[in-house]
Amino acid sequence: MNRYENSAVSNAGDIAKRRFLGQLRRGHGIPGRKYGVIYRSVLMENLQYVANMALGFFGYFVFIYIFIKLWEYMYRTPEELIAGYSKEQMIWYVMMTEMMWFGSNASAVGWQVKTDIRGGNIAYLMNKPYHYTLYILAKYTGEWSIRLPMYAGLAVVIGTVMVGAIPGFRLITVPAMALCIMFGLTINAVFKICIGLLSFWIEDATPFQWLYDKLILVVGTIFPIEIFPGALQPFFKLTPIYTVCYGPAKLIVDFQPAKCVEILAAQAVYLAAGCGLMFFVYRKGVKKLYVNGG
Amino acid sequence: MQAIRVEALTKTFRVRRKEKGMRGSIKAILRPQTEEIRAVHGVSFGVEEGEMLAFIGPNGAGKSTTIKMLTGILYPDGGRVEVLGIDPTKKRRQLAYQIGTVFGQKEQLWTHLTPYDNFRFFGAIYDIPDEEMEHRIGELAERFELHEFINTPVRNLSLGQRIRCEIVASLIHRPKVLFLDEPTIGLDPVVKEQIRNLIRQMNREYNTTIFLTSHDVGDIEKLCKRIIIVNDGQIVLDDSMEHLKYHYLHKKIVEVKMQEETALPQVAGITVLKQKGSHARLEVDTGAVEIGDALRQINVENMEDINISNVPLENIIMEIYRAKDRQQVKAAIAPVG
Ligand SMILES: Nc1ncnc2c1ncn2[C@@H]1O[C@H](COP(=O)(O)OP(=O)(O)O)[C@@H](O)[C@H]1O
Ligand SMILES: [Mg+2]
Repeated sequence: MNRYENSAVSNAGDIAKRRFLGQLRRGHGIPGRKYGVIYRSVLMENLQYVANMALGFFGYFVFIYIFIKLWEYMYRTPEELIAGYSKEQMIWYVMMTEMMWFGSNASAVGWQVKTDIRGGNIAYLMNKPYHYTLYILAKYTGEWSIRLPMYAGLAVVIGTVMVGAIPGFRLITVPAMALCIMFGLTINAVFKICIGLLSFWIEDATPFQWLYDKLILVVGTIFPIEIFPGALQPFFKLTPIYTVCYGPAKLIVDFQPAKCVEILAAQAVYLAAGCGLMFFVYRKGVKKLYVNGG
Repeated sequence: MQAIRVEALTKTFRVRRKEKGMRGSIKAILRPQTEEIRAVHGVSFGVEEGEMLAFIGPNGAGKSTTIKMLTGILYPDGGRVEVLGIDPTKKRRQLAYQIGTVFGQKEQLWTHLTPYDNFRFFGAIYDIPDEEMEHRIGELAERFELHEFINTPVRNLSLGQRIRCEIVASLIHRPKVLFLDEPTIGLDPVVKEQIRNLIRQMNREYNTTIFLTSHDVGDIEKLCKRIIIVNDGQIVLDDSMEHLKYHYLHKKIVEVKMQEETALPQVAGITVLKQKGSHARLEVDTGAVEIGDALRQINVENMEDINISNVPLENIIMEIYRAKDRQQVKAAIAPVG
């Protein structure tokens, strides 16, 4: 649902309109047909959003369905725990991390930064009385705050229908969880922006984005990190995975006040450090642009 | 007071150079070679407050680079810049509140928002209070006739409407100086005219200083009283439009159609540009020969049609582009005799 898709949508609509006007001018339209064409163009415009959204929903559903089947096979008895997680918790964990992944579309942020810098739009943006990176962050927050609730709704429906409620879930903990998710998404975006800012120096930062995404996606979203060997645990705590996806999802499936404080504290540290890094890289990049040209 | 003051401004870019083919690529990695491009080289000029200046030149002449240094986006290698008494290299943010920039090929509006919402957004960025903002949007919409589409998402606007909104968006904070880098590029004549009206009005109503680059001679001719021509990073001409045209008025183009093919006069000051059958196009240098005398050389009995015109500004500018330095430019525009 980013603005680039929108422009493609409007193009398709424009073409249809032009074709329609052309038909009118040439004068071989069946009366009534023109309204059909108008209707179709409008529908086409709106269908593209719906189609994008529906495709995303479908992808999410398939993904989750596979995991439900997988874990149903892995857990032989209902009481069994794997890495300390019950079956319901394990499935809800994946549902929550994937909800954040699908619902945030973080790749748009990195892409936007890269395009602004490589395409020269940065000249426009850096000369406004705001900080470019915060501008991007604010814009992105606006985007996910529309998408994420839709995925959250979908997740709750799938979860209650196909998995069952999370054991011991209490509504009162939801605000703390929401805060954690918000921080997680923001930290993720900050890191994506940092990588995007590398475009000041290198032709294409996409490979780095790809590496980072894969790290988060493969290691962070599919299994809780407790599943991995104990020797790796400290390492994971140092990567963004702990604050970006593990933390919030863990809290949702197994809320404990102490854990919540720990994760929020880690997120605060990460956010501060990430923003510091982001401002630093941005300043260096602008200086480079300023002195050497783009 | 002068709005813009520039002295001996210089900017050199260092770009990587690579020889052809694979061997070149490997060599470039092992021993990178750089090449210097003098984008702007010792440029000096001043612009008065409220002046409309055309800053023109062929592609790659250094126009955009100059604008970027004036707005604090690029750091000059040498020379001094002052815009509204502010040094853009030192106080870019402070300057940003007082200047507006429009780059014709770049977008600043949010495409999925309406122009109204966009204006509100820019108002907030420039710390303008809400009520004041409402007032300004109303005023700008009225003045520049945006009412028709002010609530239509930008992505659904025509290119002309969009550019008008782009320009208005950079006027929200009432900048004292407006930098326009090829604002009419790719627009049809009607829209071009609308944009010119908008710029002219801006200048008249708010005494905004206009710094315009364009390849469109119409923009330059219709808007600006003063013209600076740059080539290869140097100023080759800095003159008033009137003066420039006056210098060229000593040349007239005479087109004649005769009943039958006749010999054309062989007189100093008359150059035959083209002759095809009974059609002929002559250039008359009125510094060397009076126009009346020149016309008397043509056999009037035999004449079917005649058309006398000035040399188009476009040709004047083209000739100046072709000239290599100031000396040649002077020679090109100096009246003969
Ligand atoms: N960031 C840059 N890096 C290297 N060379 C540049 C850069 N920007 C401009 N140039 C070079 O400087 C010269 C002037 O460019 P520019 O100011 O954009 O010209 P204009 O706007 O007059 O067409 C050109 O030769 C261009 O290739
Ligand atoms: Mg340019």
